[in-house]
Amino acid sequence: MGGLWRPACRRVVFCGWPWSHLGRPTWAAERAEPCLRPGRSGPAGTEQGLRRLGTWRRPSPAEQPARRPKSTNPYTRSQEEDWRRRNRTVLTYVAAAAVGMLGASYAAVPLYRLYCQTTGLGGSAAAGHASDQIENMVPVKDRIIKITFNADVHASLQWNFRPQQTEIYIITSRLQTYERTIRNVCVIEQRFSTEQVVPGETALAFYKAKNPTDKPVIGISTYNVVPFEAGQYFNKIQCFCFEEQRLNPQEEVDMPVFFYIDPEFAEDPRMVNVDLITLSYTFFEAKEGHKLAVPGYNSNHQLSPASNL
Amino acid sequence: MSTAMNFGSKSFQPRPPDKGSFPLDHFGECKSFKEKFMKCLRDNNFENALCRNESKEYLECRMERQLMAQEPLEKLGFGDLIGGKSDKN
Repeated sequence: MGGLWRPACRRVVFCGWPWSHLGRPTWAAERAEPCLRPGRSGPAGTEQGLRRLGTWRRPSPAEQPARRPKSTNPYTRSQEEDWRRRNRTVLTYVAAAAVGMLGASYAAVPLYRLYCQTTGLGGSAAAGHASDQIENMVPVKDRIIKITFNADVHASLQWNFRPQQTEIYIITSRLQTYERTIRNVCVIEQRFSTEQVVPGETALAFYKAKNPTDKPVIGISTYNVVPFEAGQYFNKIQCFCFEEQRLNPQEEVDMPVFFYIDPEFAEDPRMVNVDLITLSYTFFEAKEGHKLAVPGYNSNHQLSPASNL
Repeated sequence: MSTAMNFGSKSFQPRPPDKGSFPLDHFGECKSFKEKFMKCLRDNNFENALCRNESKEYLECRMERQLMAQEPLEKLGFGDLIGGKSDKN
């Protein structure tokens, strides 16, 4: 900064000081002229002069109208005011756009709902979670998936629990095209949009459980699907999981699982190589009085793996 | 309910079934239908597509005996098998 000083162009201004009656804009211009002449100082010449005048140099109190603008040169001052005005305008626009976006994102939810209601388009809540679409599934004949079944029992539960079939081959289904495009638009409302009846590929499978002890036992089960990514497409219509099941002494029951593979499975590129899905059930013993958050079910019993019979 | 401890890896989220849980068939009322279904599966090399009639009959048995909530068969994916019969609902 010291290098920019040229004694002849030294200016000092005191903003806000009541010197305005002393100064005329022309005085500043006249005094600035020598500094603005090219060649005055080193390589920067005019710019240096401007810089000295505009931002960092202050005119002396005797000479200057102490106005807000940082520069005394009317040209740069008006330019700066222009810039300032433009900046303010731009800032206002940007702020308005940001607020507008925020408002639009909040408004999107009821607007979508309104749109789906008025246009009568149906849809499902999320990929793979709507049972209404079962009606509209169309089997894709060339995509056959093998489902294997596995059964496990926790160590403290003395049931004999096993699947009644080792595997089942099912044909994946897909939705008719119309249904599929609709689903992507209206993801909030769930409505029937057609009444066509087309075949789907729902499948039934059985497990068998036997209580070989002499006391009634309450068990509760959970399940797992491998591979994990395919698990989101595995929809169970009805099964025996997450509810306590009571077996009397020496009782043997069949436990069915009624499921289907979601039609979206056929369109997921990550599922192209998936031909085998394994469904695995595990039974635990349920004990009264404990609490466990089991997904989706309000059961007063809970899993208690460490309990004894 | 994955047992993996790593936070970043995908884990499996079990979901409750759409229509809830089957009540247990303590008295084996539908056992004959189940046997028919299993026999059909074994005969057809465990292809589910060929045994859908039997599975439909099993579910109908359950519905009749209050072991399953009444549902129209189209909603269960048997729309092609009823062929004009009225809904059970």
